[in-house]
Amino acid sequence: MITAKRKTGLIFFPAYDWEISPTHPERQERLLYTQDQVMEEGVLDIEGIREFKAGFATEKDISRPHFCVPDVDSRITLSHNISAGGCIEAARLVLEGAVDNAFALVRPPGHHAMRVVQGARGFCNINIEAVMIEWVRKNYPRIKKIAVIDTDCHHGDGTQDVYWHDPNVLYISLHQDGRTLYPGSGFPEEFGGPNALGKTLNVPLPPRTSDEGMLYVIEHFVMPVLKEFGPDLVINSAGQDNHYSDPITNMAFTAGGYARLNEILSPHICVLEGGYSIEAALPYVNTGIILALAGVDYSYVREPDLNPMRIKEDPRIIEYIKGLVDRLLEMWRARDSYEVPEEGVLSERSRSLFYDTDGISENQKEVIRVCRQCPGAFKIDSFATTGYRIAGIHLPWGACPACREQGLKWFEKPGRENYYAVYLQDMDRDEYTVKLT
Amino acid sequence: MILGIDVGGTHTDAVCIDRGKVIAGAKALTGPDLVQSIHEVIDALDIEYTDIRRTILSTTLSTNSIIEKTFEPTGMIVSAGPGIHPSNYFLTGDFHLVAGAIDHRGREYIPLKRDEILGAARELKAKGIRGVGIVSKFSVRNPVHEAGIFSLIEKDFEHVSSGHSLSGHLNFPRRIHTTYFNTAVMPVQRRFVHSVSRALNELGIRSQLLFLKADGGTYSESAADKCPVETILSGPAASMMGGLALCSDPGTTTLVMDIGGTTTDIGVLIGGVPILEPKGVSIGGSKTLVRGLKVVSVGAGGDSCVSLKGREIVVGPNRQGPPACLGGPSPTPMDALSVLGSFPKGDKDKACNAVKEIALALGRDIRDVSKEIVALMISNIKESAREFLDEVNRYPVYTIYEMLHPEFVEPKQIMAIGGPAALLQPYLEDAFRMKCIVPEHATVANALGAALARTTTQITLMADTQLGKLICPELGIEEDASSSLTMERLKSKGIDALKKHIASQGFSGHIEVSVLEEQTFNIVRGFSSAGKNFRLKLQTKPGILDEWSVR
Repeated sequence: MITAKRKTGLIFFPAYDWEISPTHPERQERLLYTQDQVMEEGVLDIEGIREFKAGFATEKDISRPHFCVPDVDSRITLSHNISAGGCIEAARLVLEGAVDNAFALVRPPGHHAMRVVQGARGFCNINIEAVMIEWVRKNYPRIKKIAVIDTDCHHGDGTQDVYWHDPNVLYISLHQDGRTLYPGSGFPEEFGGPNALGKTLNVPLPPRTSDEGMLYVIEHFVMPVLKEFGPDLVINSAGQDNHYSDPITNMAFTAGGYARLNEILSPHICVLEGGYSIEAALPYVNTGIILALAGVDYSYVREPDLNPMRIKEDPRIIEYIKGLVDRLLEMWRARDSYEVPEEGVLSERSRSLFYDTDGISENQKEVIRVCRQCPGAFKIDSFATTGYRIAGIHLPWGACPACREQGLKWFEKPGRENYYAVYLQDMDRDEYTVKLT
Repeated sequence: MILGIDVGGTHTDAVCIDRGKVIAGAKALTGPDLVQSIHEVIDALDIEYTDIRRTILSTTLSTNSIIEKTFEPTGMIVSAGPGIHPSNYFLTGDFHLVAGAIDHRGREYIPLKRDEILGAARELKAKGIRGVGIVSKFSVRNPVHEAGIFSLIEKDFEHVSSGHSLSGHLNFPRRIHTTYFNTAVMPVQRRFVHSVSRALNELGIRSQLLFLKADGGTYSESAADKCPVETILSGPAASMMGGLALCSDPGTTTLVMDIGGTTTDIGVLIGGVPILEPKGVSIGGSKTLVRGLKVVSVGAGGDSCVSLKGREIVVGPNRQGPPACLGGPSPTPMDALSVLGSFPKGDKDKACNAVKEIALALGRDIRDVSKEIVALMISNIKESAREFLDEVNRYPVYTIYEMLHPEFVEPKQIMAIGGPAALLQPYLEDAFRMKCIVPEHATVANALGAALARTTTQITLMADTQLGKLICPELGIEEDASSSLTMERLKSKGIDALKKHIASQGFSGHIEVSVLEEQTFNIVRGFSSAGKNFRLKLQTKPGILDEWSVR
């Protein structure tokens, strides 16, 4: 009999009755072979590893990080309620002390979903980590600082967007270089909003990066930054598409590498994101991650077709990564010395977004009040090809009186007449209001 | 006539049933020689044996053999491949790990090495080992490695069993445990069956001999010969089946409690069926794949020892002997019931003296203390029942449909059987706030449960149309799967095979097959469908023979 060093909770919700389409990568049997492997290995019989039921995320839970247009119900399916609810359950288990860490092996994924949800992007409708994080902040106010380490192969542009202005949520993404893969973003220059500089960190890795390169970034960049940031809660967005066998990416990470990554990172919560090599990678990667979380020897877990020599990185890749890490560390250390506008200034950014899964285009204009006292109130003007034009106003956790006043003023007078609706997120009061105009 | 015998740890019970009615019941003490005890209890029934056409036995033989580790040295030959290291599951020093690996879809990726297996067999044989268990990882997806090892070593050993034939479930560590125990108890079971058959013959009983399994169903002598491990924990299964047989409205969700001297076994009936342990039962701290009823055993019975821990009264979890009023060494709940006037048997003075010691130490009234003792015993039972139900209601589900349609298990009544059941009935009703039924024949309910249990089987069918394979590990079916296979066709094939299998065990009654699990998935290559993956689990549910309709 094996006893785990750490108590690990597993929320397994494969949603065997949900798919984007029968042959889409995000399809019903995505976690089937993972379940087979985990069951055959007897992982759930290990003393200390326990499986728990998923839960439901409510409309309010989803409204905390999102402006769903026109409303929450029309943007999601029940499977999203449960996949986000599974994450919440994982967080609850950890924060109640029932387990030391937890893994939400749920689908559908969420890290491409941004604050404004006009449709589905990159197979994601709502951001399941963000729903979980906001639930944690609401229910466990002692959790002040949260770090999300996103190891999905695609840049988690959704999570980056939700926390772009939040100095208390550190978002670090390791991903295949955006010049070679969807969604085409995630460069070092994307460094956080004016009130949260350095709290968004991007590590674009060259194609064919394997274990050595990934683990170098974790050990020499992520860990020192985390140590300095001092989070109360560490979350791994555990996408598994960096795997050498993944059909839609070009990296060369292994199951053993993923396990080692989680051993080093030792997150409180892992959330499954992408990963579409459902037979050749997921069964082994997930087994490895669960064992690493529980502190059980994973060194014999490996893929049947693993050939370490064939996937080893070219030395030039390692050199490149070392240089990249040096540069990122320099940026991180200098994060407080960058020039930002004066307090009270309204800083603007405009951008065009594309919802690839649903084929929707959106134009956004965002205004944030530069603030030293709180994360800053902001307003987003969003206009999509669906015909919906909305304004969303966000009053952050711990909003200062000036930002609260500014936010409420925006809500009162959003600046245009033709909005379908104006949304207000008042985090401290946990009130989420929609005003149809 | 049907003869049901339950050989328990303390007592051996027997009942004889004719045309749906109990015509005789008897109890005897269980001695070291189980066959002798069986002989005695049949004698005590005092009936005409010649009409008996079915004899069903539930015994503690294999359970005790495993828990007390009295079985003979048994070898294991196991192929695993990558994963959690199998050394974690070495239950014996005679465990040989050999090369070979199969993946989750049943594709071989590391072949067996013939010489290595023959070497392991030679080594085991040289040690005088007679029984060997064979297991490979994912053998239920493709038994080729287990079959390969079997054909190489079969002739050299008397008892050989292979993992895939014992259960179609995935779980490599449990498969190892199950196969090891199955092989280990084979010789004990064979000797026992031989002696029982002879004893029954001597008595003039020429009936079919069946055994009760952990899942509350019966199987034939020949099936028990191949899979003796399934008889483990048949005692609690007999209790649950007895409770089911005696329940007048089994459709109501019912907590079944078998209150014995040492322990109380708790299970639940839902829709007239006792619920099963989802992954398999545990024995002696080892988890197995043996299909069994979900029963929790709590150390609170009529003879549980009552003691003081500081100023706190503690009931159980051990039994030191019979109650003080029956000459035992320490006070028990039965003595408390005697003080309260509910238990008429035995020496009430002795009961009072035993409880008085505790009352004096606490400076309290003896009746008051007696009430507390009974209440504590009941609250131990209630606590375990609550945990049991919590666990059942926490079972994870994997589809949106199941999330939206949770089946919340909430019993509406209690069915109490076993010696002290009748005495505790008012206390149980009070504590649980629900009706508590103590049926007629409650004291021999276990034997009754064994006598009336139907034949049960569970099989797993897997078809992978991309690989063109169809397999049913339990029945040894392996054939080609055509690309036009449908779930409907697989189901009718499975039902036929299952019915044939049950009929081959001499069961002639109506067989009702139900679907336990059914899944169909696409196998996608690139972005188009390359085949289908069908998974089907069929069973015959545990239940009571039709002729027991008199209720």
